[in-house]
Amino acid sequence: MKRALIVVIAAVIAAPLFAGDIHGKVVAHGVRNSEDAVVYVDKIAGKTFPAPAEHAKIDQKSMRFNPRVLPVLEGTTVDFLNSDAVLHNVFSPDSCADRFNLGTWPQGQIKSFTFKKECFASLLCKVHPEMEGFVVVLPTPYFAVTAADGSFHIKDLPDGNYTVKVWHPKLKMALKSIVVKGATIADFEIAK
Amino acid sequence: MSMHRRRSGLLTLLAGSMLLLFSVDARAIPAFARKYATSCQTCHVGFPKLNPFGEAFRLNGYHLPKETEEQIKIPQVSLGADANKKMFPRTMWPSDLPGQVPLALNVKMASVYASSLDDTGRTLIKNDFQFPQEANLFAGGTLGERMSFLGEVTWAENPDGSSSTELERLHLAIGPFADHLVNFKVGKFAADLNDGFHEMWLSTDNGIDTLFAFNPVGLNGGTGLAEDGGGIALPGDVKGIEIYGVGAHRFFYTAGVVNGLGPSASGSTDANASKDLYARADYKLGGMGLDGDTTGVTLPPENWREHSLRVGVLGYRGNGKGFDFPFEDAGVTIQDRNFTRAGVYASWMFNDLNIFGVALSGRDKLDTFDGEGALVNSASHTFRSWFVQGDYVFVPPLQGSLRYESVRPGDTEVRTLRFLNASLAYFAYANVKAMLEYRRDLNEAKNYQLATILRFAF
Repeated sequence: MKRALIVVIAAVIAAPLFAGDIHGKVVAHGVRNSEDAVVYVDKIAGKTFPAPAEHAKIDQKSMRFNPRVLPVLEGTTVDFLNSDAVLHNVFSPDSCADRFNLGTWPQGQIKSFTFKKECFASLLCKVHPEMEGFVVVLPTPYFAVTAADGSFHIKDLPDGNYTVKVWHPKLKMALKSIVVKGATIADFEIAK
Repeated sequence: MSMHRRRSGLLTLLAGSMLLLFSVDARAIPAFARKYATSCQTCHVGFPKLNPFGEAFRLNGYHLPKETEEQIKIPQVSLGADANKKMFPRTMWPSDLPGQVPLALNVKMASVYASSLDDTGRTLIKNDFQFPQEANLFAGGTLGERMSFLGEVTWAENPDGSSSTELERLHLAIGPFADHLVNFKVGKFAADLNDGFHEMWLSTDNGIDTLFAFNPVGLNGGTGLAEDGGGIALPGDVKGIEIYGVGAHRFFYTAGVVNGLGPSASGSTDANASKDLYARADYKLGGMGLDGDTTGVTLPPENWREHSLRVGVLGYRGNGKGFDFPFEDAGVTIQDRNFTRAGVYASWMFNDLNIFGVALSGRDKLDTFDGEGALVNSASHTFRSWFVQGDYVFVPPLQGSLRYESVRPGDTEVRTLRFLNASLAYFAYANVKAMLEYRRDLNEAKNYQLATILRFAF
């Protein structure tokens, strides 16, 4: 009984530090649906986050980048897998991603690239010019990609004041200052 | 002027004594309706006549005004991701092509009852089921953000049972640039010189013969309508390059450089090395902007209605050197060496009524050559033609039209030609219409035509 009480008290004390989240909807005007917007917490003064050891993954399957939009923390390495029976290439025309070009490789193989700094990096395939993907390299690990209905959920965010931004491949960026205290709702509208 | 006239067909009928049986083609382009999953009525008062939104769509390179991605219900096929723009010119500029085969078919059937008086004073009666009279295969769509195309192949059945096929139009449009201010067209197309009264956009089945079918060439100046239905007063369709655009939402301009009379004896489509030129400028007061802008304007929900006035001036300058009009009876040929056209256009829309018209003055320098090719006469002649037409939407499925048209030929001994055209159209569906159209020569009661027409497009 005494042990249980200690656990409850500890949980209550720790709750304000880790119980926060931001959820809501992004309404994207002028595009087919509201998916593929990245909602993220911008730089937090005095805080840095170590790059994750685990690699993120993008699959090239059915002549598409999957996922089409991948948000990652600065320093994350992304593995690009070719699951198609045709050759694929991955390169980025953006200088913030060092205009990398990973060459061309066949089905089943993986090539990797580490995104070192904040960047909205376009991904293209020289073999198939219609293919397009994005790696959104962010300064904090607090981000989410919207579903088709525009819903998003950023979890495990300490309570506090934040600048929350919304990036979309085709629409103008939006931002809001948000006070997070527990479960917090934030809705956005973005347009061209 | 795309005036590829068979020389044998250029005889002008004296005093315009015969009423023409030629009529305009059916034009509506369901390929666009499919792309946007929208009704024909989004762009047409009743096909093929465009409403203000349809006009904006056309002038906007067949993109909806302020078009957004979700408005396109059949997505385009990407020929390159947008991010390739960052790579240009190390890669192709990204574009797309229609997600469907962008084809559409128009079919026209007509029952034509026509009476005409021949040169001997005998009345000729024709009562003809022209089932079908013609079919038009359209191709229309966009290629990326800045290019579009429109083509039309017409198949028509001739009275002798044979058929003819003609590539009536095929052009590539490039633009818009600088908002809507600069666009280009290259190919064979309906010149924007005739925007609003070209057969492509008329509610009536019959075209405006006094503008497009009048032949100003004769021994003493022009006398009447061309026998084959294709006069040279104004060009219907042209082969060339056109620039056009809309500025400040309400100012429209166009200018073109096009082939003139032809073909030449040596086989080129233009009879000579010089090109014909045209230009037009319009301003629209009230209603929807010519680019679709509605800022500060309250428009009724009935999209064929608005209160507006559009006025414009237009001009054409041509050179017909090298193109012979034979007059075998007189043993001479005539060349229309230098001709100019100047006109004014006005269109007034008030609720269900649209009254529009053109007044045109044409001057032709006609050089007459004898059988040896020696110049025997050179003289200038002036003709004047005008029309006024009223279109009325009784209810959306029932629409009427009344037109008066007149041309005073260059030959001063020939009386002024005057015609009346009355039409009633019933739309069974947005893409199926039946028409009853009556046309009469007001100088001769025995010259008339009554046509019952069925058109459908899909």
